[in-house]
Amino acid sequence: MLQFLLPGLGVTVSVTLIALGLGGCIGAMMAVFRVYGNPVVKCLAVSYSVVVRAVPVVVIIFILFFVISAFIDLSPFMSGAIALGFASGAYQTEIFRGAILSVPRGQMTAARGIGMSRAKAIRCIILPQAFRVAIPSLINEVTLVLKDSSLVFVIGVPELMRRAQYASASTMEPLLAFGTAACFYILLTLTLSKLLEAVEKRFAIQF
Amino acid sequence: MIQPVLKIENLSKSFGATPVVRDVSFDVNPSEVIVIIGSSGTGKSTLLQCLNLLHKPTSGRIFLEDLEITAPGMNEDTVRRQMGMVFQEFNLFNHLTVLGNVTIGMTRVLGMPAKDAEKKAMKELDRVGMADHRLKYPAQLSGGQKQRVGIARALGMNPKVMLFDEPTSALDPELTGEVLTVMQKLASEGMTMIIVSHEMGFARDAADRVIFMENGRIEEQGPPDVIFSHPASERTRKFLSIITTGKAEQPASHMEQDTP
Repeated sequence: MLQFLLPGLGVTVSVTLIALGLGGCIGAMMAVFRVYGNPVVKCLAVSYSVVVRAVPVVVIIFILFFVISAFIDLSPFMSGAIALGFASGAYQTEIFRGAILSVPRGQMTAARGIGMSRAKAIRCIILPQAFRVAIPSLINEVTLVLKDSSLVFVIGVPELMRRAQYASASTMEPLLAFGTAACFYILLTLTLSKLLEAVEKRFAIQF
Repeated sequence: MIQPVLKIENLSKSFGATPVVRDVSFDVNPSEVIVIIGSSGTGKSTLLQCLNLLHKPTSGRIFLEDLEITAPGMNEDTVRRQMGMVFQEFNLFNHLTVLGNVTIGMTRVLGMPAKDAEKKAMKELDRVGMADHRLKYPAQLSGGQKQRVGIARALGMNPKVMLFDEPTSALDPELTGEVLTVMQKLASEGMTMIIVSHEMGFARDAADRVIFMENGRIEEQGPPDVIFSHPASERTRKFLSIITTGKAEQPASHMEQDTP
């Protein structure tokens, strides 16, 4: 059973990490747009977050795989990872927006007061503090993306879920196959959350 | 003739239709310590924040030495790095240590190498008596200690003038002293300072000039002994008597009517 599933483990992990990284970049950028941007980029960020959160992830995956990849050369793996990242970005936008708003206004005033530009103040003062506030919500988002990564099996990416399906078909033991897959997901979720909790502790502001 | 560090000409600031600062003019000479007093809501803090362009003046001109900082197209960031600002609420950067709070402006704004910044920061922290606390985070400090770090952070930028916005208003009376002592020391070292404060004792001891503001205007200004002992304006006299005795001279008549 393990020889069927193990190769999928790596694919699941890489899809998840790419999606989280991409979503994190999009999310942080869109959140800054929403809080500090001019009306145009603010509108862009709001539309992105509202529309993407209203569309099922599978639909985004299909759009990327069947529509977009007709124009740009994208492997199923990359289409899946980018689609997931694009979806996660919308949720991370909301996470980062809340975190940015939780940073006291005085922090920006003080940063401008020592002569920092707005952009530099956001980068050096606001975002480092917002990131710390965001970690607990990000841990939640990590587990969601990890589980959503199973959806890319619909476009044939050989990740954990797809492998479990093969295994189930060829061994005729669905319970064992999907049970093992479930165990892997639990293990991955716990590992990733623990990892982020360690990051949270490492960067916690001391009181 | 000495050139003023700051020259404020007919400065006004309105928020929407509400005028907050009205036609204020004064010069600040090198090493001068000016304390601005007045009731709450008379535009003292707004005036101070206009001086380093944290608020954009509605009209009027401000000169920092030769440079008109209110000129169109002026880069406000380069203006602000030449003026230190100390806030009522301290506003220390919560994610940085005491040392990090003082160095970040030097490294990220002035582009100093980290080593030099650290050396200079330690000098400034020593000046405010906070060198031993360099590795602590703001949340681990008392209010008075936070404010002293706030002062060191501003000093680190080698400002031409220091602006203090009610630096002791958020402090317990027993913590006020340690901040005022540091400010007094700076004054005696020749730092040019403009201070919005309710500390009349400090104004009397440390100020070269006291400005009394009323309703967005300068009502009266002069040396502290003149302002405190022989104020020319009736309003100044009333304000000072309320501040020093803790109550108004005569109880307002409509108050008496309200009591059955």
